[in-house]
Amino acid sequence: MRDLPASRDLLALARGLLLDELAPLLPPERQRDAHLVATAMAIAAREAAAEDWPAAVLTHLRTFYGECGEGTDILARFAADLRNGAVETSPSRAAAARAILWRLTVEKLREGNPRFLAANGFGNAGGQKT
Amino acid sequence: MAATALPQSEAGLGDRQRALADFLATASGAVGVEITRLELLPGGAIQENWGIDASFEGGRLVGPRRLVLRTDAATGVPSSLGRAEEFAVLRAAFAAGVTVPEPLFACADGAVIGKPFFVMRRIGGNAAGMRITLDPTLEAARPAIAERLGSELARIQTIRPPRDDLAFLPSYAGPAAQIGECRAYLDRHPDPRPVLEWALRWAETHVPDPLPAVLCHRDYRTGNYMLQGARLTGILDWEFAGWGDPDEDIGWLCCKGWRFGRLDREAGGIAGRAPFYRGYESEAERRVDPGRVKFWEVFANIRWAVIALQQSDRFLIGGARSLSTAITGRRATECELELLMLLDPERSPADA
Repeated sequence: MRDLPASRDLLALARGLLLDELAPLLPPERQRDAHLVATAMAIAAREAAAEDWPAAVLTHLRTFYGECGEGTDILARFAADLRNGAVETSPSRAAAARAILWRLTVEKLREGNPRFLAANGFGNAGGQKT
Repeated sequence: MAATALPQSEAGLGDRQRALADFLATASGAVGVEITRLELLPGGAIQENWGIDASFEGGRLVGPRRLVLRTDAATGVPSSLGRAEEFAVLRAAFAAGVTVPEPLFACADGAVIGKPFFVMRRIGGNAAGMRITLDPTLEAARPAIAERLGSELARIQTIRPPRDDLAFLPSYAGPAAQIGECRAYLDRHPDPRPVLEWALRWAETHVPDPLPAVLCHRDYRTGNYMLQGARLTGILDWEFAGWGDPDEDIGWLCCKGWRFGRLDREAGGIAGRAPFYRGYESEAERRVDPGRVKFWEVFANIRWAVIALQQSDRFLIGGARSLSTAITGRRATECELELLMLLDPERSPADA
């Protein structure tokens, strides 16, 4: 129902214009700012296009705690339990907690900095170059 | 002593140029000082560095001089020293034979430029991380640079408490207190950071046996030293210095966040660890203990994550309209990935 081109296509066009045509016209001391703007646009585009991974992580957390329900307070509970060692009651529970930490971190970086993810051996983590 | 006209963007310090020239004359014992150029140098999110070209008539600096004035930027981050304190640390390092810009004068009088500052000699070279780590002309010299960074660090660590000239530095309370500070920050932060909590728990349960405290630079890394060609001309930015563990700066320099595109070169993106450690051991009174370094490398990633979050707090809480600081908070997640890789190394990327 929205007008076309889609916002992601507009963002990609705008980012290309910024990097390819406008940035070269800027004095050297402002080049970094242009690339920061391009990075922010790329993050926004990836976030808009991404699946709802926060919901998936919350589902993992509810499974971890054996609970149903909504809300993000469970993430704060998880953080508190990690602080006080409450997830270390068995090797399997500690491993399950670490699996959630990995998922949370990798998903954030897929949006925020896929190049860093790839540079650390996580394959083609997807997304635009930043 | 006519003032040189300055570009509009530099009028902040430019309109204090006469007062600054008078201060330099008094401090150096000159009859007069003419400032011929005043420019804001690039970098320095927390501090401002101004390049000064000045001609001294008489006094201890007689002749044309290139100097740097260092003062507070509009916003800082918690835990950085004031300029008078940073000047005292720089003087101690200079006296200990560390390669630093010679500190010259400090001024606590806000009437001169509106805020405290200090002045040091300007050194030549380049400090930009990527330009250093990716410069192909430095290839052959990289091990020697890393070795020099190690020996310079050992020299910094010859400065030990108690010192009357550094009496303002708080006593070192140990890693447990540093862990507590990070947790206190996370308690104030609106978003839970489970990976940092998990890593802090590991740190809490793996605190190494204590060693006598030494002076820590606390930002000893690529990006904070100047190279002219392959020659180290100065170690910069002492605003976070304090008493601490001898391995804290080793862990910081080796932290992945400071490798600037060369993740494979574990000593600051410059070289492998071996030459860095070799240089350190050549001047230090101890051998590097990899187990202790691992602890401090983990802590370095935690601390860098907290600093990154504090930077974005300047936008989220402080209202600073800076894209650079706002976006820095996202780098915390890069530190969290490294923490997972350091502390859960059996997990392959394909499992994540």
